[in-house]
Amino acid sequence: MSITDQLLGALSQYGLPVLFGVIVIAAAGIPLPISMMLVAAGSFVELGEMKLWQVIVVASAGAVLGDQIGYALGRWGGHHVVSRIQRRENGAAKIAQAEAFTKRWGAAGVFFSRWLITPLGPWLNLTSGMAGYPWMRFFVWDVLGEVLWVVLYVMLGKLFSDRVQALVEILGNLAWVVVGLIVAAILGWKVLKYMRPSATMKEEKDTSRALT
Amino acid sequence: MKRAGWQKWIVLVSFALVVVATGVFAVRTVRRAMYWRLHHDEVIRPWMSIPYVAHSYGVPPHIFYQALGIPPQLHDRRPLKQIAREHNRSVDEVIRVLHEAIARERATHPTGAPPPPDQGRSP
Repeated sequence: MSITDQLLGALSQYGLPVLFGVIVIAAAGIPLPISMMLVAAGSFVELGEMKLWQVIVVASAGAVLGDQIGYALGRWGGHHVVSRIQRRENGAAKIAQAEAFTKRWGAAGVFFSRWLITPLGPWLNLTSGMAGYPWMRFFVWDVLGEVLWVVLYVMLGKLFSDRVQALVEILGNLAWVVVGLIVAAILGWKVLKYMRPSATMKEEKDTSRALT
Repeated sequence: MKRAGWQKWIVLVSFALVVVATGVFAVRTVRRAMYWRLHHDEVIRPWMSIPYVAHSYGVPPHIFYQALGIPPQLHDRRPLKQIAREHNRSVDEVIRVLHEAIARERATHPTGAPPPPDQGRSP
């Protein structure tokens, strides 16, 4: 039986403590099927097995706690890992890039990676900590994003309570489509930037030739 | 310059790969959504409880309890794998019994027919 089946079975039987525990672990960076857990919890709410407000409070608290663990690991516990990465080829540059990304996209990055581009969430927790992104700002955007994520997924689960597996498959694919579109936009912009200087140089050459 | 050219190719290839991967996920999303629209039934899995399967298939829970030969329970949160364990059966066997009960129920009560008494169903 798959890990998803095991966790969902435990959620069905033991309810909120399982939901809280799994979400904390997953938000801290261990890949577990939490979207499925939330949608299933929404379905159990519809069936009268769980209370909506309890699910929202417990799941949000678990997600925020897990994110704080990720942030703390990046900020205080990650020096050993950071120094190991730095020793590798281009390691320092990669860390500098991650830090620059966090500083540039900080609030938006934290907020959107909570509910829209969820696969990037745990990474952003670590890099936010590593980059020394202000904790209070991280916390506020984290809470806003996580509550939105929990409400969204639980309500979808409640709404489509008879088809949670199909819904999660669609949501999972959709999350990767959104991530792909964002990465494609960033890379596409870089490609354009690479192409532009050569076009400018050609124009300059033509102008100087015309002048002489 | 040589380094810049090499980086350019990396970015171009990455861009192409990301576009292809995004396209694959987009197609999968659309296909799943279309399948979902046409097929109402979920695949029965070991994590599901009897009330969930009943809700998903629109079959009253007492039909499943009857088919399995076990007493109906209110707020039954046990997953099918546990029911199977408690009654010394395999999960596959329990799922097969549920499928048979669904087929029988649908044959005798086509869509629109009034459902039988609702014992064991969650509120």
